[in-house]
Amino acid sequence: MIDSSEHVVDDLAAYALGSLETGEHARVDEHVAGCPSCASRLAEYRGLAGALPLALAPISPPSDLWDAIRSEARRQRLRPRMRSAMGTRWFRAAPWIAAAVVATWLVTWNVRLQSELTRYTQGPQVEKLARRPARLVILTGAAGSQASARVFAAVDGQSGHMAITGLARLPAGRVYQLWFLPKAGPALTAATFTVDADGRAWVVIRVPADLDDTRGLIVTEEAAPGSPAPTGPPLLEARQWR
Amino acid sequence: MSVDPAADPDLVGRMRLGDESALEALYARYGGLVYTLALRIVGDPELAREVVQDTFLRSWDGRETYDARRGRVPWWLMGIARNRAIDLLRSRSHQARMRERTAPLPEIPTTLPRDPVDAVVSRRAVLDALRELSEGQRRAIELAYYGGLTQTEIANELGEPLGTIKSRTREALERLRKVLGPLIQAAGGRTS
Repeated sequence: MIDSSEHVVDDLAAYALGSLETGEHARVDEHVAGCPSCASRLAEYRGLAGALPLALAPISPPSDLWDAIRSEARRQRLRPRMRSAMGTRWFRAAPWIAAAVVATWLVTWNVRLQSELTRYTQGPQVEKLARRPARLVILTGAAGSQASARVFAAVDGQSGHMAITGLARLPAGRVYQLWFLPKAGPALTAATFTVDADGRAWVVIRVPADLDDTRGLIVTEEAAPGSPAPTGPPLLEARQWR
Repeated sequence: MSVDPAADPDLVGRMRLGDESALEALYARYGGLVYTLALRIVGDPELAREVVQDTFLRSWDGRETYDARRGRVPWWLMGIARNRAIDLLRSRSHQARMRERTAPLPEIPTTLPRDPVDAVVSRRAVLDALRELSEGQRRAIELAYYGGLTQTEIANELGEPLGTIKSRTREALERLRKVLGPLIQAAGGRTS
């Protein structure tokens, strides 16, 4: 049992940011190894530190960088590991087979990139919505689910947008439905949607109630084209926001 | 051969089996973010390129050591990239380091780039959270994370007591945690 006075709370933030003095790492490591609460807090801080770069204006890497990485990886490391993991069959193949595989990878890479850009680049609409004054609500999945959604409800109107990840693709005739749960009165529908093969969707929503008068947001699965009231259990849920 | 839209942990699992296409998929997802971070820290496209290359090579070498309980795959990658970039930064001349230290803080972009929607939304959330910090808090975490300075170095840089810098850094992350905690957890950063 660790006395709370021994906690290293002040050092956890610096540790997560890589700013702790070198000699202090061992002390924090030792404490965290035996203190679940500090270990949990450190993990959260590490997540926050890892999220900081998201705030940077993105810059595309050089177009030939992946080729360079792949070449270097094969030269230095991948070849022996691949041989070990997969046996020598792959490497006994004729050089032209390897060349064909490389070409396929390149094509796949380009197609993949183009697909991502086409699917997610919605131009001025996205930028306009993302710049509007809005309140953020994060919906999380049920226990064990990796699904999540982020709702931006514009403060200057009755609309907003929502990005969803991790939901299962639905069969024909089924849709997901976003609901606002007012503090008083029945659930109000805000959007119906389906997700793509990656489990993602980008949805423009209507905001049927002021968030200050709302006790929760949920996403349920319903029969298409949507239900007048939620019939399924919440698959995503938010009960508090700023 | 297709690049499966697998979840990040699945990609790492495939990497552990020696599947090179999983590394490629990981790069497709996070190469841009790693490059952006690297360029912010080292300030030089050639060095940033080196950081990105090292990051993905190290992620391949370290694929056996990735522990999902310690955070999401992108946070793992960002940690590798940040450490490598800081190593490079520290190896540069004193004059170059001083230029980095005195470089203006990154401006909050007024226009959002056209890129995957989820990244736009996440960026907006992080920008909003950073705006809620005091200037002192923001500067403390940026000097730490992007500048690679230790708490003592930050205290010297800002002419403030070490204790003040430590508590300011903790307060900054606590504030970010309150705002972004659900985002981090929703993204799979649960610790248990």
